[in-house]
Amino acid sequence: MNLKEKMQRRLKLSRPSLRARARPPKHRTTLGAQFTAANLSTALALQHCKSCGHTQYPPTELCGICLEDQLIYQPADGAGVILAKTELHHSLWEYFKRRLRQGSWPLCSVALNSGPEVIAHLGSDHLKAGDPARVFSHTDASQQAVLIAVDANVDVSYPEARREIVSAMNLDIPAIKEDGL
Amino acid sequence: MDRPSIYARSRKEAPANESRVRLIITACDCPANTHGEHVVRNYEGIALVCPVSLGYAKQSSHGAAWYVGSVLREIIHSAGIAKSDVDGLAVSSFSLGVDSAIALTQHFGLSPRWIEQANMGGVSGIVALRKAARAVQCGEAQIVACIGGDGAGHRSFEATAAHFSSWSIDASFPYGAGGPNAAFSLITRHYMEKYGAKREDFARIAVDQRYNANHYPKALLGHKRLSTQDYLQARPIAGPLHLFDCVMPCAGGEGFLIMSEARARTLKLPFVRLLAADELHNAHPKDSVQDRGGWTEYMSALYQRAGVGPEDIDLLQTYDDYPVISMMQIEDLGFCEKGDGPRFVQETDMRFDHSGAPSRKLPHNTCGGQLSCGQAGSAAGYLGLTETIRQLTHTAGSNQVPRARHGLVSGYGMVNYDRGLCSGAALLARGDA
Ligand SMILES: [Zn+2]
Repeated sequence: MNLKEKMQRRLKLSRPSLRARARPPKHRTTLGAQFTAANLSTALALQHCKSCGHTQYPPTELCGICLEDQLIYQPADGAGVILAKTELHHSLWEYFKRRLRQGSWPLCSVALNSGPEVIAHLGSDHLKAGDPARVFSHTDASQQAVLIAVDANVDVSYPEARREIVSAMNLDIPAIKEDGL
Repeated sequence: MDRPSIYARSRKEAPANESRVRLIITACDCPANTHGEHVVRNYEGIALVCPVSLGYAKQSSHGAAWYVGSVLREIIHSAGIAKSDVDGLAVSSFSLGVDSAIALTQHFGLSPRWIEQANMGGVSGIVALRKAARAVQCGEAQIVACIGGDGAGHRSFEATAAHFSSWSIDASFPYGAGGPNAAFSLITRHYMEKYGAKREDFARIAVDQRYNANHYPKALLGHKRLSTQDYLQARPIAGPLHLFDCVMPCAGGEGFLIMSEARARTLKLPFVRLLAADELHNAHPKDSVQDRGGWTEYMSALYQRAGVGPEDIDLLQTYDDYPVISMMQIEDLGFCEKGDGPRFVQETDMRFDHSGAPSRKLPHNTCGGQLSCGQAGSAAGYLGLTETIRQLTHTAGSNQVPRARHGLVSGYGMVNYDRGLCSGAALLARGDA
């Protein structure tokens, strides 16, 4: 293989659709990276304002209510209600494109009882708008924290239980290119 | 007052014969409205001229500067003015990269004394228009070019969607990477469940718009017909959204000039007047899923200031990134009650030439809108305005709305996280109306 062929091959392999292992979007802002770090050891940690008591998501630098610089991550209650549910048949990202070949990808928005509204992967397919739900965080195959919503009756207090749900969704492993490169 | 004809036409009470009218704010939980009553000057003496739409293409090797500059060149030609006569420049673009509106002044050899960069997606055109109109009114500039333009390089849409905002990077894109389709499928499903809307209702909007596009040569999908059957049988994209609910990202440029009415008459340019315009952003922040926008807070005052009502509107341009968003605007702009949108579109002919079956006529997105023209980035936020200027100056050509005198343009956009934050509306009238 001469240099030109080598470069062409490298260029070809850098196209995400030709990657052997595709993973979910890894890119986060600095605040998103902090969210991942804060959620490593617990079922769900959200920003809490020490000044006014507001619980906040998505993460920001200042409290969205009082604008004070007093936000700290605290364990949060994941109980909430499903606002809307959808299922993707199309994605812009190779990892999800491969997952979608096995079926649609369910998503939802949830109003947490503690205030924030979150977008989450839907782990319990039967849930619909208005149903009680529980939201927890887990690292995905890109080692970033993502939120997962399940039926309110599911116990997610133990890490093993949470890992089992995420594994059943194949969220913790890359999507392999089935027919080779 | 040199425009009694509009006031005479209105069934609403005409405002007092003075240039300042009182704006009445309704009770609402929006932080933007806690300041109570205030007074807004009108836009008397302002003319919108020389609409230009160009370069629509699915993919393009040209960058945003090419689109903005090409629109500027065509505007100058059609106005019959020198480049140096343009002393104000408002630019909207997502794809200028490291450049800004200031960099473009050097690219284009312009020396403006007034400049604005309004990167607010679907409301960019209305934001630029309002600012430019005030600049001309106050004498800070004499001729302002308002231009939206974006290129469409290979995979550029994916890049924009993946890095749209910090909240989308951290809290929405990682969830399926559906881009705007994911957020709007949640909004659409919620609207359908709350108000009983069916896909057949959204089909009314898409199908009539395609008919309009079939008569507008620049529309990227104008050569293809779309039936209700085609719409319903399209492949699924996200939840209730199917292929013809989604816009096609493309390249394109849109623009127009703002100058004084006196200047437009001297230059013998057909012009359109700005009766009233308003904006409200991040309205109704406590609504859990979006089913209304800022329009609900200012439309009645807007009609009052303009001296026209919804019944006087000959053509409506909504920001149609998805049909549900057009339906939401039809309700919030006062054409029907909230939740009555599905019935309204079933009972309304939205074709430009009044040729549809329903007896109520409201030509809507008369060049096909983004659903059938394509969504040219920030230029899409100007499309409704350029099209309305063409229509009201009776220069639209093959898709001309008969006897068009009053047009309403509304803007919406910027899905920072779970909803579009921006709202804007402008009521325009034919120069002699
Ligand atoms: Zn606070």
